[in-house]
Amino acid sequence: MTRFIESTITFPYKRSLGPVVGAFMTALTEKKILGIRCRDAVLVPPMEWDPATGAELPHEFVEVGPAGTVESWTWVPAPSEQHPLDHPFAFALVLLDGATTPLLHAVDAGTPSAMSEGMRVAPRWRGSRVGRIDDIICFVPGDMAETEGEDTGGAGEPVTRMDYLASITYRNPVPEAADRATEASREHRLLGLRCPTCGRVYAGGRGLCPVDAIELGPDCEVDLPHTGTITNFAIVTPVQYPGQTETEPFVRAFVLLDGTDVIIPYSAVIELPADRVKVGIRVDAVWASPAEETEEGGGMGGSWGSLLGWIPNGEPDLDDPDLVNRIF
Amino acid sequence: MSTPPVAVVGVGQTHHKSRRLDVSFGGLVREAVFRALEDAQMTLADIDAVVLGKAPDLFEGVMKPELYLSDALGAVGKPMFRVHTAGSVGGTTAIVAASHVQAGKHKTVLAVAFEKQSEGNAQFALGSGKGASLGAGGAFAPFIRAYIQRSGAPEHIGWKVAVKDRLNALKNPYAHLKIEDISIEKVKASPMMWEPIRFLESCPSSDGACAVVITDAAGANAAAADGRPPAWILSASSRSEPPSFPGRDPVRPAAALQCAADVYAAAGITDPRRQIDTAELYVPFSWLEPIWLEAFGLADEGEGWKLVDDGTTELGGSLPVNPSGGVLSSNPIGASGLLRFAEAANQVRGAAGEHQVDGAKVAIGMAYGANNQYFSTWAVGSSLHPFG
Amino acid sequence: MSGPSTDIAVIGWAQTPMVRHTDKSETQLLMEAITDAIDPLGLTRADIDFTCLGSCDYITGQAFSFVSNLDAIGAWPPKRDSHVEMDGAWALYEAWLRLQEGDIEIAVVTGSGRSSTGEPALIYPMEMDPYFLAPLGADPLTFAALQARAVIAAGIADERSMAEVAVRARGKGDVESLLAEEFVRLPLRRHDVPPITDGAAAMVLATGDRARQLVKRPAYITGFDHRTECHNPSFRALDDSPSTRIAAEAAGLGDAPVEVAELQAAFTHEELLLRRVLGLGDDVAVNRSGGALRHNPIMATGLCRVGYAADHIFGGGRRALAHSTSGPCLQQNLVCILEGRS
Repeated sequence: MTRFIESTITFPYKRSLGPVVGAFMTALTEKKILGIRCRDAVLVPPMEWDPATGAELPHEFVEVGPAGTVESWTWVPAPSEQHPLDHPFAFALVLLDGATTPLLHAVDAGTPSAMSEGMRVAPRWRGSRVGRIDDIICFVPGDMAETEGEDTGGAGEPVTRMDYLASITYRNPVPEAADRATEASREHRLLGLRCPTCGRVYAGGRGLCPVDAIELGPDCEVDLPHTGTITNFAIVTPVQYPGQTETEPFVRAFVLLDGTDVIIPYSAVIELPADRVKVGIRVDAVWASPAEETEEGGGMGGSWGSLLGWIPNGEPDLDDPDLVNRIF
Repeated sequence: MSTPPVAVVGVGQTHHKSRRLDVSFGGLVREAVFRALEDAQMTLADIDAVVLGKAPDLFEGVMKPELYLSDALGAVGKPMFRVHTAGSVGGTTAIVAASHVQAGKHKTVLAVAFEKQSEGNAQFALGSGKGASLGAGGAFAPFIRAYIQRSGAPEHIGWKVAVKDRLNALKNPYAHLKIEDISIEKVKASPMMWEPIRFLESCPSSDGACAVVITDAAGANAAAADGRPPAWILSASSRSEPPSFPGRDPVRPAAALQCAADVYAAAGITDPRRQIDTAELYVPFSWLEPIWLEAFGLADEGEGWKLVDDGTTELGGSLPVNPSGGVLSSNPIGASGLLRFAEAANQVRGAAGEHQVDGAKVAIGMAYGANNQYFSTWAVGSSLHPFG
Repeated sequence: MSGPSTDIAVIGWAQTPMVRHTDKSETQLLMEAITDAIDPLGLTRADIDFTCLGSCDYITGQAFSFVSNLDAIGAWPPKRDSHVEMDGAWALYEAWLRLQEGDIEIAVVTGSGRSSTGEPALIYPMEMDPYFLAPLGADPLTFAALQARAVIAAGIADERSMAEVAVRARGKGDVESLLAEEFVRLPLRRHDVPPITDGAAAMVLATGDRARQLVKRPAYITGFDHRTECHNPSFRALDDSPSTRIAAEAAGLGDAPVEVAELQAAFTHEELLLRRVLGLGDDVAVNRSGGALRHNPIMATGLCRVGYAADHIFGGGRRALAHSTSGPCLQQNLVCILEGRS
């Protein structure tokens, strides 16, 4: 059975709008829709440049709509979480009165049979508008614009930025080599894969040798020692961002396993504060107890599985000037 | 070289700032593009193809932005190409654009690169949205520690580079960081971010863009005849190596050595330290300057820091490095590499303004990416045969 | 400008099994595809002078996702290498330019993507205009439906001819029963829409003499061009594809007849529109491979089209066309002409 790991990349981006999109968004808060003159055309949505040539357009805004005519449409029977409406609707190219190019937006028509080319539609405004394209919730059949909820009025000052929340969930299969490494970690085994061609050993369930560009299967597996030496490290002062889990400076160490050429990179350390970490410290692997087991694994994450990190084992530090060079 | 000669005839960049809240994506790139076109005395109509580079799309949350920017860049009806090779991308963008002309496919190509970091958060994007992102500093600090130990460099070297590049930035009207009172003391007193890297030894996070116009020999000769010296592209190379394997050395990466060897061989450079007049190297953390001086053969192994210490790499020294102020002063990530290439070109065109290196005839621009894995470099000259 | 002065040819290619869902990583897929492409030619990774990979972070779900793919190319000693955030067909374009510089002989290009891990309807709005379209969740199915409507209105396609394309491409079903199905996005039904496919492809290019040493019948690239249009479909005539027409002209499509055409038409109406724009008559075998309607490994779909066109030449054919596309409503289009020589 393939195991999957789900991860969501989510970030609240903040877009700066510039003079043209900004003017459009500001007008939206006042329930006005602006186009821009481009030679003989009135472009909606307005652009800073001529879409055909890239020439800069003078800021000659033209108020259009708010009603318009459906030029083309399609029906969305099962809306996505990103769509403007949570029930079936039409996406339509709406030619707003006074515009020469159509705006794509939703039309809340109930059924596809209520949609037709040439039909008149008008905006359903959000009562509380912030200067985003979805200040128009959607268009509705007819010539009369409507407002949903209490109308809190225009922004009062120019809108210069907009929020854009991007959130995408991925469901990634765990490759066999990674899965086997994780499984082995449950039994507190640190698995390596020895390349049959060059003899290099790779830990962490990587499943391939980048030097020889070959896959390393279960027949390449070797058990690796649980004791090693810190060769190098990073002390990271965390910068705050959405999704950040750290608040205090944290250590990521590189551990060279005894009697091997294998580095365990970017390792978590335990009972080794940032001000005491240094090259040459001898360490032992620390494994999660059954109670600490999580789907996500221990402090190392990924296919390190139950390996929580490394703890000083009390042996005297190694003094070898070459250690620091062992990062990979 | 067997390929037909090509040259840079126009360079443009934005004013780089932590937040360019006054512009849209299109507005930002167009600011650089129109400056480059003006410099080349061209219009968008003269451009045959556009090559766009930028770092991961997660930085701004716009996927494949070359699609959205096609019309902003005047590329309608033309080829629009998108490169992404991690931090080296700006450099690779220039090289791929040059390749379009060298192959004889197009006469004049626009290379554009940008980043609008203020729309998102770089640490977030570098960690792919997960917690405990190392950030670039966390990734590079171990490399720097290894360099310091093996070269025996004193700790003030990092501070000196940080001061030098910020002093240079004061002469560059487009630079982001303008720290008038920059000093060794100030750098030394700044917070430790990723030991041994201090805050003022680190690059800023910038919004910005850069554009370069590359054209064929006829176009370049016409510009020269008009009193606008071109920067002839003497050679270029992009090399990559895998992320990690036992024995990989990120301090003196084989890909960097090979990239340098490619560029020097093709340009006829046999003694880089003497034949190269100035270098724009990708130095986001101050210690990368001595590291790259060595990897790119501008100093012997273990000796790069001495060129910092004795002032050789200062503006006015015999090998000025990052006279523009470098990545330490402006870092619109995707554009940072192209800025290195563009600044190198401006030096040999004699067009670098206040940060001009007197009499620069040969310069290199270099960019790197990921865990010291992707390297892009070009050598440019004030003539096609600068060594006679 | 004149065309290429150096002969450059496709001499082999390979693709992974094209599946709805793979358990393999993108790096593993590439490892396999590259090995399968170079092995039959008697080449090893050490023989490769230049690599260019095509992939997309937002498809993979990770920033810098292509960096780990270096593990697949054998970049030790370090390789001359590049990466495009585009379909592998554009990676091929970069390699084709690079080989013309004359200092190297063999290039490998790839395209790779696992689109099964995310939901295309949620990912793709992120490539749309970030102010007016992305915030509405404007998805590829919607844009395809609006273009299909325009193509139907122009008399280039109808629901029946679209169903016929689907039946031919997938080699199964019958038109009547397909037309009885519900719309997923009017006027598109399930059969008009591409499948979700995981997979990768790798292609080997060589310069003239080297190509002729390695294979009996190289597929020479005699024309290669790509063009873009303005982004927002609001500003375009959706019943046309001017960028395809310009690219085809620049690639010399009109110089001689082609026997086969492999078009990256993920939606049935796109095939009909592209046929019209490219002026392909009934004598041209279009998408014999089943095209993107049968397998749609995003970021490799276009490179596979070039691969199938090359297969036609390898098998004795004289001239073939391959097409790739990117962006909403065929915003950006690439045309590659391959020829065999006696």
